[in-house]
Amino acid sequence: MKQQYDKHRYDVVVIGSGPAGMAAAVSAADSGVSVCLAEREERMGGILKQCIHDGFGLIRFKEKLTGPEYAWRYEQMVRKRDIDFMGLTFLTGIEKRENDFKIAFVNPERGVFEIEAGSLVMAMGCRERSGRQIFLHGERPAGIFTAGQAQDFINLKGFMPGRRCVILGSGDIGLIMSRRLTLEGAEVLGVYEIGSAPSGLTRNIVQCLEDYNIPLHLETTVTEVHGKERVEGVTVCRVDENKKPIMETALFLACDSLILSVGLIPENDILAPLDVDIDSVTKGPSVNQRQETSVPGMFSCGNALHVSDLVDYVSESGHVAGKMAAARVLKREADSGQMVIKKAGILQYAVPQNISFPVNGQVPVFFRPSEASDHAEFIFRQGERVIHKKKLSWLKPSEMHRLELDLSKVRQDGPAVTFELKPEAVNE
Amino acid sequence: MSQRAERELKRVRRKLKKKNLKAVNVEAAGKSIRLSGSAGNWDERVRAGYIAAGHGFKGVINDITVDGITEPEMSLPLVSDEMLDGREFDAVIVGGGVVGCAIARELSKMNISIVILEKEADLAMQASGRNDGMIHPGFAASPGTKKAHYNIRGNRMYTELSKQLDFELKRPGSIILFKTAWYKLLLPIFKARCRKNGVEGSWRSLSAKEVRRVEPNVSPSQKGGFILPSAGIVSPYRVTIALAENAVENGAEVFLNTVVRDLESADGKITGVVTNRGTLRCGLVINAAGVWADKLAEMAGDRFFSIHGRKGTDAILDRSCAPLQRHIVGMPSLLGTKNSHSKGGGIVLCVEGNILLGPTAEEVPDREDYSTEPESFNNLLKQLYLNTRLNSSMIINYYSGVRAASWDEDFIIEPSEKVSNLIHVAAIQSPGLASAPAIAEDVAQMAVRALTSAGVRVLPRADFNPIRRGIPAVKDLTAEARTALIKEDPAYGEILCRCEEVSRGEIRDALLSKVPATTIDGVKRRVRAGAGRCHGGFCLPRVIQAMASELGVQVTDITKKGGDSAILIGETKEEAAREAAV
Ligand SMILES: Cc1cc2nc3c(=O)[nH]c(=O)nc-3n(C[C@H](O)[C@H](O)[C@H](O)COP(=O)(O)OP(=O)(O)OC[C@H]3O[C@@H](n4cnc5c(N)ncnc54)[C@H](O)[C@@H]3O)c2cc1C
Ligand SMILES: Cc1cc2nc3c(=O)[nH]c(=O)nc-3n(C[C@H](O)[C@H](O)[C@H](O)COP(=O)(O)OP(=O)(O)OC[C@H]3O[C@@H](n4cnc5c(N)ncnc54)[C@H](O)[C@@H]3O)c2cc1C
Repeated sequence: MKQQYDKHRYDVVVIGSGPAGMAAAVSAADSGVSVCLAEREERMGGILKQCIHDGFGLIRFKEKLTGPEYAWRYEQMVRKRDIDFMGLTFLTGIEKRENDFKIAFVNPERGVFEIEAGSLVMAMGCRERSGRQIFLHGERPAGIFTAGQAQDFINLKGFMPGRRCVILGSGDIGLIMSRRLTLEGAEVLGVYEIGSAPSGLTRNIVQCLEDYNIPLHLETTVTEVHGKERVEGVTVCRVDENKKPIMETALFLACDSLILSVGLIPENDILAPLDVDIDSVTKGPSVNQRQETSVPGMFSCGNALHVSDLVDYVSESGHVAGKMAAARVLKREADSGQMVIKKAGILQYAVPQNISFPVNGQVPVFFRPSEASDHAEFIFRQGERVIHKKKLSWLKPSEMHRLELDLSKVRQDGPAVTFELKPEAVNE
Repeated sequence: MSQRAERELKRVRRKLKKKNLKAVNVEAAGKSIRLSGSAGNWDERVRAGYIAAGHGFKGVINDITVDGITEPEMSLPLVSDEMLDGREFDAVIVGGGVVGCAIARELSKMNISIVILEKEADLAMQASGRNDGMIHPGFAASPGTKKAHYNIRGNRMYTELSKQLDFELKRPGSIILFKTAWYKLLLPIFKARCRKNGVEGSWRSLSAKEVRRVEPNVSPSQKGGFILPSAGIVSPYRVTIALAENAVENGAEVFLNTVVRDLESADGKITGVVTNRGTLRCGLVINAAGVWADKLAEMAGDRFFSIHGRKGTDAILDRSCAPLQRHIVGMPSLLGTKNSHSKGGGIVLCVEGNILLGPTAEEVPDREDYSTEPESFNNLLKQLYLNTRLNSSMIINYYSGVRAASWDEDFIIEPSEKVSNLIHVAAIQSPGLASAPAIAEDVAQMAVRALTSAGVRVLPRADFNPIRRGIPAVKDLTAEARTALIKEDPAYGEILCRCEEVSRGEIRDALLSKVPATTIDGVKRRVRAGAGRCHGGFCLPRVIQAMASELGVQVTDITKKGGDSAILIGETKEEAAREAAV
């Protein structure tokens, strides 16, 4: 790896150096193009830097690693290659030109500067939903944190956000932080989830809550925050089937902090001026099987594309995007056509959303069901012609699925392509 | 008591009885009318207060109690020391809201010593930091009221002020929308009012078609409207801070976390201002204490009015909505009828590009009740229908403020009749922000008169500097200027708040400014770190660390808004163990 700050043009520029961006940079470099990896923080690693628990890398490295260990492995791969890393470098604007991009950055060393890129990989990760986005009401004291903030404070900075904590939302980071807070000597009163099923992985429910006797309250939410200066308590309330609080069940819980784990949103605001097509479900760009967005030459991966449960999948999507971004530069050839993939059944979303022709080979497809189902069949068809079928069990919206599909079986002149997730009634 | 007063008291009693408010007592108290006794609930208490207004008394004092409700006291700062004990100022201004700060700035044109005492950890922590930021055109207030007078003058003054004090002012204009064609009948009244109040700009009626042309996303059911081009917008806390900073540049002093607890008087004159940081001597006291102005008046033995809190909730939409609306739009704020004491509410623009919904209006016993609750919030959301392109998923924040209303619903701006060195600037509710510069001009004159008659020689300050420079938003500089700045100081190139693109350098500037930020919220208000869509989710840990290292304090000392609002409660076990091992 070189640190070279005077270059103004790269074949591939990757924005964000979390696991997705590092993987993209590595695979682009392995395709033999010039690569720049830009990161607004000082160091590579993205969110993994603060995920000090283990369980990362089971698929990718066949080992149980901590977040920083996983990131470190990728960092070594980046450093071994001819990739220019720019830290403390913040992307401020993107201009799409005829055949390439002009991107504006700001950093402490160079001030405002521009770089030209043949293609771009967007790997900015995601941000957490705030209390405001779930319309949390009551007073506005100190002591309300997102789970990621709490994770940053405890794991990276060594400070406690609270001693008596209520967790709102059952996202994975909230579950992991319930355990972390407990290990640090705080009391976690419970995890309160408005939905009827937890939104985090079963693995985390078991390892982070059950193993530590932390209660999980489903169909329950926080209706009011108390305390003018510092959190003094919250009111929790059960909700009915329309998620409306049942006021008779209101209960005051004295606590000094409220930790929110209520969802992640792919970070794509920077794309707004370019009119990139955004999938209204994933909140990431709609992409084709090459992870190319509606803006030719711009690729997306990792949590910026759609929020993944496993970092291994994030890295995989980074590898695809990096490789395809390099291929774009090496062989500038317009697509011969594009087809939108339809969704049917209990499919919440599937990535890719589109197919671009020509297609070759197997591609990974990621999807989530819109509701829980014990058994279901994933059907990939063009018109009535079934190309691939797979039976699946124990589907939950909180767990993402991955299938490898051979998209080359799709005929460009054929009828619409559909991904269907069909729930099955099983007779035992 | 005059016969007229007797007669009016009787009328008030009759009205109360008719409204079934039987347990309320009515009496004259000096030149004011005083209500006491009890009411069944807060609404009844409020109703009684309004019944007593408009009967020719100097003020209405509402001391009615409601079973089961105790009005909470003001929150107090934690500090207690003698820092100010024995210090003497010609003018002591109580309250660091926009009104107090505008007065301080106006008085700083004179060669007198001035102090602002503010109980909160920052300026503009009460109404002045929790409002719509609108510089009203001066249309809504009834002709002949102080509100109308000061609003028109204040609106005009903002143009010059924004240049001198380096805060952003925009004049997008406001459109009053007509839901039904029936409203067109009101046009002659609208125009007559504009003329009477002296509303500036080329106000005029708009046809339904014209409304859609100037505001394409407005709901298609609108039958027309009335446009007031002089309506402006500012960031209210930035205005307040700018005013105070310019006053400080011209010699005034500001003490935060300083509460006035009592006033010592002798011979109809205030002799000592008792605070949690010692007792000050003063030439003159200016009561700009917002919702607590009646309590301050009471400390001076001159409580001829009482304040009731009226909460308003606002919601802020993401900056990306900026292109979706060009003007402030709202429904007719029904011409000052007695029972519509809120400004109709609507969709307001913010100088930073966000869109604001609000405000609601709700009478509250707690004058520092800044909570939000689902019911009024959902009412607020109904205003979204005015613009077809906006929806509730665009909301990034919401908050409440409390208006300091008197029962007469007009401003109180006058020297005390009882205390020779006290000036009341009270009941400054909406359009108080718009009016503040004009109010300050008049209050400064009153102050000079009072000081002069007490023998102080008040002269204009020869070296008064009307110019104040704010902290420039680095992201808005040209690429060349930004690069030059970063080369000089790399801290301006390190972005800590990603949503609003705020650099470490700007955060440091906020901590070093003339009235420095000392809290997370203070930094956010000055340079917008944490004011964006992720709500500080990403930058809070970074901003705290930057603040602690810049201020040379512990990370655990950093508070959200002063007092007991520390963000972090201590070190982790591991951290503590690490320290112990060293
Ligand atoms: C707060 C939080 C905690 C999490 N904790 C866990 C956990 O404990 N366990 C788990 O399995 N998963 C966790 N996740 C999920 C985790 O994000 C993914 O597993 C994985 O890290 C995603 O990788 P990524 O590369 O897509 O994004 P990230 O790791 O978020 O990396 C994105 C990178 O892009 C950079 N960037 C963004 N915008 C710009 C810009 N404009 N200019 C320059 N650089 C930019 C960011 O600084 C960051 O380094 C967490 C997610 C969040 C948000
Ligand atoms: C929701 C809402 C929306 C509004 N919208 C607008 C608008 O768009 N345009 C407009 O013109 N006006 C608007 N207003 C009105 C405007 O906000 C007020 O008129 C204005 O801010 C009043 O300023 P102030 O300085 O009098 O009061 P404040 O800002 O409340 O200042 C008074 C200060 O005095 C301090 N204080 C009180 N007692 C003591 C004591 N004993 N010792 C020390 N300090 C003390 C308080 O802490 C407070 O900071 C709105 C108000 C609300 C609530």
